Amino acid sequence: MTWPRLVLRNLLRHPLRTLFTTLSIALSIFLVCAVLTLPGALAAIFERQSSNTRISVHHKAGLTYWLPYAFVRKVRSVPGVAAVNHYSWFGGIYDEPKNLFPNFAMDPETAAQVWPDYGIEPAALERFRKTRNGAVVGEQTMRKFDWRIGQEITLRGTIFPVDLTLEIVGVIPEASGNPVVLWFNRVYLEEAMEPRGGLRFVGMLWVRADRPEHVDRVMQTIADLFRNSEAEVAAETEQAFLTSWFSSFQGFIRVILAVGFLVVGAVVLIAANTSAMGVRERIPEIAVLKSLGFRRRPILLALMAESTLQASIGGVAGAAAAYGILGALRTAGKTGGGMPFLGPLANFQMSPQVAAEGVAIAVVVGLVAGAVPAWNGARLNVVEALRRLF
Amino acid sequence: MIEVRDVSRFYTRGVDVVHALERVTLTIPGGRFVALMGPSGSGKSTLLNLLAGLDRPDAGEVVVAGQALSALDEDGLAAWRARHVGFVFQFYNLLPVLTALENVELPLLLTPLPRAERRRRAEIALAAVGIPDRAHHRPQQLSGGEQQRAAIARAIVTDPDLIVADEPTGDLDAKSAVAILNLLKELNRAFEKTIVMVTHDHRAEPFVDLVLRLDKGVLVNGAGAPA
Repeated sequence: MTWPRLVLRNLLRHPLRTLFTTLSIALSIFLVCAVLTLPGALAAIFERQSSNTRISVHHKAGLTYWLPYAFVRKVRSVPGVAAVNHYSWFGGIYDEPKNLFPNFAMDPETAAQVWPDYGIEPAALERFRKTRNGAVVGEQTMRKFDWRIGQEITLRGTIFPVDLTLEIVGVIPEASGNPVVLWFNRVYLEEAMEPRGGLRFVGMLWVRADRPEHVDRVMQTIADLFRNSEAEVAAETEQAFLTSWFSSFQGFIRVILAVGFLVVGAVVLIAANTSAMGVRERIPEIAVLKSLGFRRRPILLALMAESTLQASIGGVAGAAAAYGILGALRTAGKTGGGMPFLGPLANFQMSPQVAAEGVAIAVVVGLVAGAVPAWNGARLNVVEALRRLF
Repeated sequence: MIEVRDVSRFYTRGVDVVHALERVTLTIPGGRFVALMGPSGSGKSTLLNLLAGLDRPDAGEVVVAGQALSALDEDGLAAWRARHVGFVFQFYNLLPVLTALENVELPLLLTPLPRAERRRRAEIALAAVGIPDRAHHRPQQLSGGEQQRAAIARAIVTDPDLIVADEPTGDLDAKSAVAILNLLKELNRAFEKTIVMVTHDHRAEPFVDLVLRLDKGVLVNGAGAPA
């Protein structure tokens, strides 16, 4: 007979109750781990997708304001700029309205210079340059619509009053971190818009600085260049741009985090109730232990150890499940796995630190849930308890 | 030797004050088997709790084997009980999640004895009460008599000076009750343990050395009783 054995035997006194309580803790820790992974995963996505020399330039008033196309040429002449490209949000839908995805008119000539880190095959970029209605498409979007290279697709314009038939000539790999986008040649859109007044604006510019240490100076020069012009611009690094682009999600993420922690709070109450129930049922036994000479502290520690052990097991199970499931989703997302619906989940990588945080939260749940019942049990008046007993 | 000197114990029940014991004085020489008898509410269990160091008197003093219990704080009393007192309860009160052997071993967790020695002493105690073959059974797999024997083994395993038993035959059939009384008598005789037993069972009288009768919190006969 040992203390650990006593704790374990008591924990297994009602196996079903213990199982369900442990599972509820495991489930909540699973959710917490998934939720805690969210900010880190987004940061990782931004980081992977960002280059340390790529700069976004957009209208100071916001992304919905256009910039004159002439800005492209002006920015190209800024010292320290290696290449300039541009995005014009076409907003085309494929087949039906629900099939909306990011598709941009841009310049195939400088795609390789501005996005060398995307790993697009040189042959694909060559075809992109040579094919007037050519398009390169992110790997996830290719899978989602079951497209293949050489296929012709038609995007229905929602912003521009034209429909464009594009030929897929290449793929933007998953590893680029931007596997959902579709690029096509701006010239093709300009030609389509010619009968309707032409196209003299761009949505935003993408600039590649020649060296990382020139980035700040280039951003400053570009901002100064268009100060007091018809369209003042904001220049920021790609990572800052993506972060601010997703800033509208921050509130949503906070809500998700809050819900996750409310779940933990609810589980604390469930576990505390179970723990209190267990102590109440064992008042006679605790009284007997105290009469045998067991002091408050070992009784308190034994009762706390039960709830903490249970919560820890639940925490480890929940964190391990989250680690395994998110890892499997990530693997499935990488390999295709026939699961295009995974979306950003396929990019979620749960770190060991998040797993450790999940287990730590579970331990705290156990300590908090067990504290009051254990304290009440330990300070039980033995004479009163024995009187109730007999 | 147990000395109870002018001990009183009151309880408040709502606005009423209940005189559970009133100026009780008695002396029990060491190695005696004593029965505390009397009607319900006469103060038997209160006196037993005071002798065992579970409760404190409102007035007077309890001295067991030279130790004034009032001099000990709560932790001190717990340690004293662990070392000097063995308990036997009416409803056995074995932990249902432990085997008989583990239940007997339980009080030894409070000692510095190594695990193997604790196990050995528990086995000896179970053999002493006649159920060595039931060591690995859980309480619910034992009869009432066997459970009480296991409880007695738990009470003697630390080799205490005093065994207190609260209605140890109260939940047993006649045959088992007699067997338990025989066992207690044997422990008293063989190991010279002082046993104080609260009982309503008149069959116990032939087994004990001394019967102390209480009524309405007052000792009406026996050592130290008013003449």
